[in-house]
Amino acid sequence: MNQTKKRMVLRFPAGTVNEPVTYTLIKEYDVLINILNADITHGKEGHLLIEMIGLEGNVADAMAYLESKHVEISPVVKTILFNEAACIHCGACSSVCFPGALEMDPSTRRLLFFPEKCVACELCIKACPLQLFELNFGVN
Amino acid sequence: MSIQKTFQEINDKIKREEAVVLTAEEVSAMGKSQSPAEIVRKVDVVTTATFGPMCSSGMFINTGHANPPIRMEKATLNGVPVFTGIAAVDLYIGATETHLEDPTYGGAHIIEELIAGKDVELIAHAKGTDCYPLKNIHTTINRENINEMIMFNPRNAYQNYPVAVNGSNRIKYTYMGSLLPKLGNANYSTSGELSPLLNDPEMRTIGMGTRIFLGGTTGYVSWHGTQFKTDAEVNEHGVPVSNAATLAVIGDASGMNPAFIKAAYYEKYGVSMFVGIGIPIPVLDEEMAARVMIRNDQITTRILDYGDPDHPELGRTTYEELMSGEIKLNQKKIKTASLSSLYKAREIADILKKQIIEGNFQLSEPVELFPKGKGLNSLEIR
Repeated sequence: MNQTKKRMVLRFPAGTVNEPVTYTLIKEYDVLINILNADITHGKEGHLLIEMIGLEGNVADAMAYLESKHVEISPVVKTILFNEAACIHCGACSSVCFPGALEMDPSTRRLLFFPEKCVACELCIKACPLQLFELNFGVN
Repeated sequence: MSIQKTFQEINDKIKREEAVVLTAEEVSAMGKSQSPAEIVRKVDVVTTATFGPMCSSGMFINTGHANPPIRMEKATLNGVPVFTGIAAVDLYIGATETHLEDPTYGGAHIIEELIAGKDVELIAHAKGTDCYPLKNIHTTINRENINEMIMFNPRNAYQNYPVAVNGSNRIKYTYMGSLLPKLGNANYSTSGELSPLLNDPEMRTIGMGTRIFLGGTTGYVSWHGTQFKTDAEVNEHGVPVSNAATLAVIGDASGMNPAFIKAAYYEKYGVSMFVGIGIPIPVLDEEMAARVMIRNDQITTRILDYGDPDHPELGRTTYEELMSGEIKLNQKKIKTASLSSLYKAREIADILKKQIIEGNFQLSEPVELFPKGKGLNSLEIR
């Protein structure tokens, strides 16, 4: 069976916050949980931004378990934020952008950003000498 | 008889606001249909420019004396060490010096912030002497409360530079940007036909004392740059096919504009600084006209493999191909990108053109021309 990796935001109803859900996921379903962001307070609603890595069957079972506990699951959509106003249009990011989301205009030599083409591979984040790109974890 | 002009004649025309000024890109386009003889008759000055990361840059400042005075022996500005090995309150901020804890912040950021008029925290220590008794100082400085901010860059405006690719199996983070494995991309750094030293490859008009646009104000070429080389191989159009001549430049940073001096950080390499330079070239005769007509398809550069520590040459290409967004190497199409901003270089060439047309920028004849036949030494380990 294939290994899979999913990023998701888990929203816990107030009653579930007290249960060791992450422990159960790891112990019972043999999935690797990487917590990227968390906001949990006992007795209140909370959320966890996690990366779940494991065999496809185990991940599916783990998600079914979460649903049985009334945990709301939202897949995470990564997007790249670009501070366009500060761009000097060098173009260093454009040679590492294969989906074509960052292209140089051949006549004006300005950098063009097409967010709809971006797959959030994150290569531009390290390629930009002015550090104008950042990752944004949106939720569907 | 062919036309000959002097700096003086051109400056007189500038004063009368009669000089005909074009950017190097405009004259390159004109050169497709007109001869050097026609161009020397019609054009007086050609403006060239570049806006690229230039590590060998920095700024002297004099902070003024405190009371009681201190002879600074160790100093930091916003946590970035600065050179104190000169007189008591003269400091040199090296553009690539990095913060003691944050490798993404360095001297270039301090320079940009001082130019922008921001406050910068100064901490300095000394052992104390009879004439300079103060041992520690902690204060803030800015453009208004210090005496001088003199940008002095030992090596800027490289005349051509090789293209960097990576033939290895893992990504390389270099001063030529992120280089993807297995020739995944190709990065270059030039403004090509707009670049100063590619328009005067023999440096007939650019020399010591040449008045230039530097970082948004007037500056000067103060010397030949470090690693200056005139024995590089040249192509059939008379331009070197690799890094060759360089310029040392100087200017009053208190008049500069942060739009033309930008701090940069290259992943896992470090801090550098984008420097905006514009140089006017007088079209003195047909020979100079022929030089400034140079086009991107006539400028060749070498492609080097940064995946190998020896940087072997894998091929050659032209700036026309590089600027198309793709080159071909070993039957493979490779995406290209520039590290220097042609967009900003054009802005500089246009500003300089306007200043000259309006009679606000006089050309200066070099006080002395650069050395000829200069090669490079390499550092022997012995």
